[in-house]
Amino acid sequence: MSKKGFTRRKFIKTGLMTAGAAALGTGVLKPLGLWAATPKIKGPIKVGYQCVLSGTLAGYGEFHKMGVTMAMEEINAAGGIAGNKLDIEYRDSTLKADEAIKNARYFADSWEADFLGGIDSSGQALALAPVMAELDRVLMVTHAATEKLTEQQVFKNGIKQIFRISMPTYQDGNAAAFVAKDLPAKTWATVSPKYEYGYTCWAMFKDTLSKLKPDVSFIADSWAPFGTTDFRSHINTIMDAAPEGFYSVEWAGELIAFIKQANQAGMFDKIKHVMLPVGAAMDVLEGVGMEMPDNIWISGRYFFMYPNDARNNGWVANFHKRWNHYPAYVSETGYSAMFAFKKAVETAGSKDTKAVVQALEGMTLASPAGDRVFRKEDHQAMYEVPWGLTVSNPKYPFKVMGKQIVIPAKECFNRPPFEGPNTKPPF
Amino acid sequence: MDLKSIVHVCLAGLSTGMFIWLVASGLTLIFGVLGVLNFAHGSFYMLGAYCCFTVLSRLGNNFWLGLLFGPLAVCVVGYVIERFFLRYVYRLELPYQLLLTFAFVLLFDDLVKIIWGAGSLGSPSVSGLAGSVPILGRNFPTYSLFIIAVGPLVALGLWALIEKTWYGRIIRAASSDREMASAIGVNVPVLFTAVFIFGTWLGAMGGGLAVPYVGLLTPGMGEAIIIDAFVVAVIGGLGSLKGAFLGALIIGLLSSFGTRFIPAFDMFLTFILMAAVLLWRPQGFFGEAT
Repeated sequence: MSKKGFTRRKFIKTGLMTAGAAALGTGVLKPLGLWAATPKIKGPIKVGYQCVLSGTLAGYGEFHKMGVTMAMEEINAAGGIAGNKLDIEYRDSTLKADEAIKNARYFADSWEADFLGGIDSSGQALALAPVMAELDRVLMVTHAATEKLTEQQVFKNGIKQIFRISMPTYQDGNAAAFVAKDLPAKTWATVSPKYEYGYTCWAMFKDTLSKLKPDVSFIADSWAPFGTTDFRSHINTIMDAAPEGFYSVEWAGELIAFIKQANQAGMFDKIKHVMLPVGAAMDVLEGVGMEMPDNIWISGRYFFMYPNDARNNGWVANFHKRWNHYPAYVSETGYSAMFAFKKAVETAGSKDTKAVVQALEGMTLASPAGDRVFRKEDHQAMYEVPWGLTVSNPKYPFKVMGKQIVIPAKECFNRPPFEGPNTKPPF
Repeated sequence: MDLKSIVHVCLAGLSTGMFIWLVASGLTLIFGVLGVLNFAHGSFYMLGAYCCFTVLSRLGNNFWLGLLFGPLAVCVVGYVIERFFLRYVYRLELPYQLLLTFAFVLLFDDLVKIIWGAGSLGSPSVSGLAGSVPILGRNFPTYSLFIIAVGPLVALGLWALIEKTWYGRIIRAASSDREMASAIGVNVPVLFTAVFIFGTWLGAMGGGLAVPYVGLLTPGMGEAIIIDAFVVAVIGGLGSLKGAFLGALIIGLLSSFGTRFIPAFDMFLTFILMAAVLLWRPQGFFGEAT
């Protein structure tokens, strides 16, 4: 009995001491250090980041984490964001819309995140948009590409909380058409994903290419459901149509499987002009390795050899040293997203959503991929990624881009108000 | 729609079907004898692929050595699962078996990520089977022809094993009446372990053979094929190897023709077929009515 009493007394005493120390602590510490500089911001700055960490695309999530973690380490080593530590929690988005919403609610309501980042699938991004307005937190999308997110949800519906730092489908559809117009191919066909992303890219490619080069025709399309591993019947469809040009926005593992199977079927010997908008992703280049045919047009959301300047090359070298990998595009977009938050918070002098949104609008961010400008109207980051032809390079155990063509974002991005004349390229 | 197109669509369908059969055979065998619906069979497929890949890259990219030793390593996993886990749920209701085997699916997906990394691994091609042969003026992958040949050979081997050998007779006896077989001196637990390991081996062989066929390895790669294998097993009649073989052929050809000629419905075709079979003959083509 006496023991219990002692414990209780001790417990109360400890509690009182802690409370006192805490009160004293804030009192003593408040005027000191970096907090004084930005009294409005009480750290840490918390970013809830969700990406796909399970299933066949789990590799993407790992590459997101590498970039984001590296940014966090660099930011915190250099004094944090406005003197506050950057704190990140990762959650598995599983690519399902309801899971993404659950994660966002957890981040905002339970974990008290200041900002959200990540999101791989277009379907998830579109489903999240109204939720972000309700939670009133900034979401920086680092992968999902549908132009409907920025054109409709941000511009038309006015959901100001959403920004996108990664390339939208303009690169896959419009920029591809600018490259294709100079190729001799007049007939085109596709094998693409049987969901929003595939349909929207092919439609945009067709639309823009028809305007740039009215005598082209689009003669076959075959749609592969998510998770397809056996592309042989799709390849048959294309071989039957015998087009001069082939376009595919298959991506990740499915693109790796597709390229290998098309190789086996001799498709690349028959069709000379091939465009793979997401073919320059690191997982694809490494996964296909030297089996990637030469002279295929590839692109991505970022390519580690572009731009060939000190900032990007230095970053790639650091990344390789830290993780023993070349950065995937989601590594770059995740990394840069953290620096976008840092710059916006420090410019605004606040981490409140409204102030940060204002700071981000029109902001120029120096990043490995080059200077990005967040377009005020639709919150889409404007920057360039090249299209290039595959070639061997003795420095790398996989094919890289040889000849490169850069279509300026100003020329190939749809323009606000996104409806009516002069809103879609060519301008 | 010319002859060349139809022949190639058929060939693509046959290779797809034979592939599903390789995976469905182990699933069916285990269900037929042990009465366990093994959800983790897709994991054996995945582990077979990864083990095959590891062995072959250690042994100078020799695919055949990988195919020989990789699946054997997975058999050890199969032994542990049967001997120390599944054995205790044989007498329980089906949902408990599904729960347990599904837990293994999650476990193995994460295990693969820890051991081999979360990214996808590109697999090497097989020397001798890497190219393609022209059929009616269009190339068809040699390796797919090889798969089309392996499928019926496995079917024949299984049929001979079960119908023509002494072991097969014991297996049939134990699967139709566990207690009677036990009473006449068959060591049923040991037999079940052996059959489970053999089924595991079949699944892992499917995975090993998938390495050059699909062209890449990803964690969770077993989940898509196990669904096809289940559909095939249900259509053919759960537990019937003959049914699974026929079901796999039908599903393979149906999906190939569907993708080529009625692309709008290709995702539903197999499930429409399954629904139709379940309505018309709930026990499947060759299943025994209960």
